[in-house]
Amino acid sequence: MNKILATIQKEWILLRRDVAGAMLLFLMPAVLIVVMAMVQDAPFKDYQELRFDLLIANNDHGRLGDEIKNGLKQSQNFHVVDSIDGKPVTEGQLQALLKAGKYRVGIVIPKGATAEVVNAANLVANRLSEKLGMGKLPARELRDSMYVRMYFDPVSKPTFRMSISFALDKYITYSCSNLLVGRLSKLGMSQADMAIADSTGSDDFKRIFQGIGIKEEALNDKGSMKLFINSVQHNVPAWAIFGMYFIVIPIAGNMLREREERSSLRVQLIPYAHNFEALGKIFFYTLICTAQFAVMCGIGLWLLPQMGLPALYLGQHPMAIVPIAICIALSATAFGYLVGVVFKTATQATPFGAISVVIMSAMGGIWVPVDLLPGIMQKLANVSPLHWGLDAINHIILRNGNIGNVLPHLAMLIVFSTILFLISLYVNRSRIHSVQ
Amino acid sequence: MAYAIEIANLRKTYKGGWTPALDGLSVYVHEGQVMGLLGPNGAGKSTTINILCGLVAPDSGHATIFGKDCTKHTLELRKTIGVVPQQIAMFGNLTAWENLRYIGSLYGLNSKQVKDRAHDLLARLGLDKHADKRINRYSGGMKRRANIIASLLHQPSLIILDEPTAGVDVQSRAMILDFLKEYNQQGKTIVYTSHLMEEAEQICDEVVIIDEGKFVVSGAPLELIKNTADCKRLEDVFLHYTGHSVRD
Repeated sequence: MNKILATIQKEWILLRRDVAGAMLLFLMPAVLIVVMAMVQDAPFKDYQELRFDLLIANNDHGRLGDEIKNGLKQSQNFHVVDSIDGKPVTEGQLQALLKAGKYRVGIVIPKGATAEVVNAANLVANRLSEKLGMGKLPARELRDSMYVRMYFDPVSKPTFRMSISFALDKYITYSCSNLLVGRLSKLGMSQADMAIADSTGSDDFKRIFQGIGIKEEALNDKGSMKLFINSVQHNVPAWAIFGMYFIVIPIAGNMLREREERSSLRVQLIPYAHNFEALGKIFFYTLICTAQFAVMCGIGLWLLPQMGLPALYLGQHPMAIVPIAICIALSATAFGYLVGVVFKTATQATPFGAISVVIMSAMGGIWVPVDLLPGIMQKLANVSPLHWGLDAINHIILRNGNIGNVLPHLAMLIVFSTILFLISLYVNRSRIHSVQ
Repeated sequence: MAYAIEIANLRKTYKGGWTPALDGLSVYVHEGQVMGLLGPNGAGKSTTINILCGLVAPDSGHATIFGKDCTKHTLELRKTIGVVPQQIAMFGNLTAWENLRYIGSLYGLNSKQVKDRAHDLLARLGLDKHADKRINRYSGGMKRRANIIASLLHQPSLIILDEPTAGVDVQSRAMILDFLKEYNQQGKTIVYTSHLMEEAEQICDEVVIIDEGKFVVSGAPLELIKNTADCKRLEDVFLHYTGHSVRD
C-alpha cells in the first residue's frame, strides 16, 4: 500500500511541477465542452427553430408574389432578402449567389404566378358552375411548368433541404390558397359552395385548389448536382481534413524527442542548419499530409462504392483539388510545427494538439454545418483553417467550381501557414538565447 | 603564437540566478594548443563554452575566436569550430552512418566528402563495424565516440569538448584521448573540460582552473604541480586552489 501511495505522491509532484501540462489537462477539455455544447446544440433543435437568410427573386410582380414574400417576411424561420444594393434580386443573381455559397437557399416566384392562381380560381368556379348548371368563366388547364422554383447551395445537406422545403411549401401553399379563396369570394362563392366543389375529392381538383406548388431545382448547368448530395460527398473531404490536422501529434512528438535527446542542439550548432531543418520538416510533413488526403479520396473513389455507397465525385475541375490539398497540408504542418516549438513536454503538447484540432474542426463545420451553428460560432468558423479548407474543397466537388473560385481560400491558408512558421522560428530563436 | 581564443572580462548572470555564472572571466588559448578548462561544478565551464559557440549571449566582456567576435560572427565561426556537447547530441533512432550523412549535408558537404570523412573518422574511433547500428543501441563509450565524430565532420580548426569522456570505460577513454592527441598534431586547437585531473594532466599543454566564474590559475600541468606547495598531482593543485568544500 505504501508503495502505491508513494507512487501517487511522486506522480502528484511531477504533475504539479509541470504547471502548463496540468493546466492544459483541465483547460483544453473545458474549452472542448463549451465549443462542442454550442456546436451540437443546433442538431438537437428542430430546423424550424432556426432562422435562415432566404433569397427571393420575384418575377411575378402580382398579388401572389407579394403575398408569398410578405408571408415569409412575417415568419420566424426566414430572413427574407429580396433586394441587393437597393435593386430587386434577379434569378441570375440569386443563382450566382447560391453557387458562390453566399446564401444557402433561394426561391424564384415565376412570372405569371398570380395569373395562374386566378386561372385556378376560375377553374374551381367553373367546376362548381358545372354542378349548378351555370355559365363558365374564361379558363385554361393549369400549367405543370408553373411553380415556385427553390434552389439550394449545393453544399447544403439533405436533412437541411428537406426541412427548409417543408417549411417553404407550407408558406407558399398557404399564400396560394389564401389568394385563391379571396378570388373565389370575389366571384361570389361562399365557403359552402367551395365545400361542395371540393366534395368531388379528385386529385385533380386538389391540385387546382393548391394553385401553384414549389419544386426544388438543381443549381448547376448540367442539372446533375442532385446526384452528388450524399454522405460520401460530405464526409470524405471533411474527415480527411480532420485527419490531416492530426499530423500535429507526430510532428510535435518528433520535435520534443529531438529536443530531449539533444539532437536539436547538434543542428543549432551548425550554421544556418536550423532554418533548413525547419523547412525540410515542413516540406516533408506537407507531403505526408497531401498523400494522406489522396489516400482518403482514393477510399471515397474506390473502396466506398465496393461497400454499397456512392463513389466520391471530384467535380468538373478535379485537378483544382491538388493545390487545395497541398495548402491544407501546409497549414496543418505549420500548426504542428508551432505546437512542437512552443510546448516543452509531451504532456503539454499531446493534449493541446489533439483537443485543439477537435475544437478547430468543430468550429470549422466538420462536425455540424456552419449554417446551423449559433451566430457567434458562425463568426468563429471564419477563423478556422479547417473551414477554409473544407469550403474550398466544397467549391470544387459540390459547387462544381474551378481554381479561380478558391484562390482566396488558398491565399488564407498560405498566409496562415507562413505566420505560424514565422512565429515558430521567432519562438525557437528566443528560446535558445541565440546571439546570431 | 597567435591566440585561437581570447576571453576578456566575461560576465553572465542567468535570469533568476542568484550568483553570476561568469564574473569577469579572462582566458587566452594559443593556436595549436590543447587547453584544459577545469573547475568544480558550477565554475562556469559550460557557460564559457556556450558563449564561445554562440548559444548564450554574455552580459558584458568579449570573447573572440581567431580574432572574430563570438557574438557578432556566430554563424561564420560555427564553420570553423567543432563543439562536442556534454550530452549525446545525435538522432537516437538513426544509425551512426545516417547521422553523419545528415549532419554532413547540413554542413554543406557533398556525398563523397561525407563518405570519405565519415569512414576515416569511424575507423579511427573504432566504430566502422558499427556504422549501421542505431545510436540508441550503442554503449555509453560508443555514443561518446560517435558524438565526437559528428563534431569533426566539417574539419574544424578549433575543437571544444565538454567532458567528452564522462561515463565511459577505460578503453574508450584511452581511444578518445589518443585520437585527440593525434588530431592536435595536425595543428588543430583543442579546448577541453573534464573533472578527471589525471586525464587533463595527460593530454593538456596548459590548464586553466576557474571557480565561481572567475579565473584562478593557469599553466602547464607539470609546471603547476611543481610551483604549488605540497602537490604531487594536478588533482592536488586543483583542490589547493578550489578547496575541499562540495559544490552543488
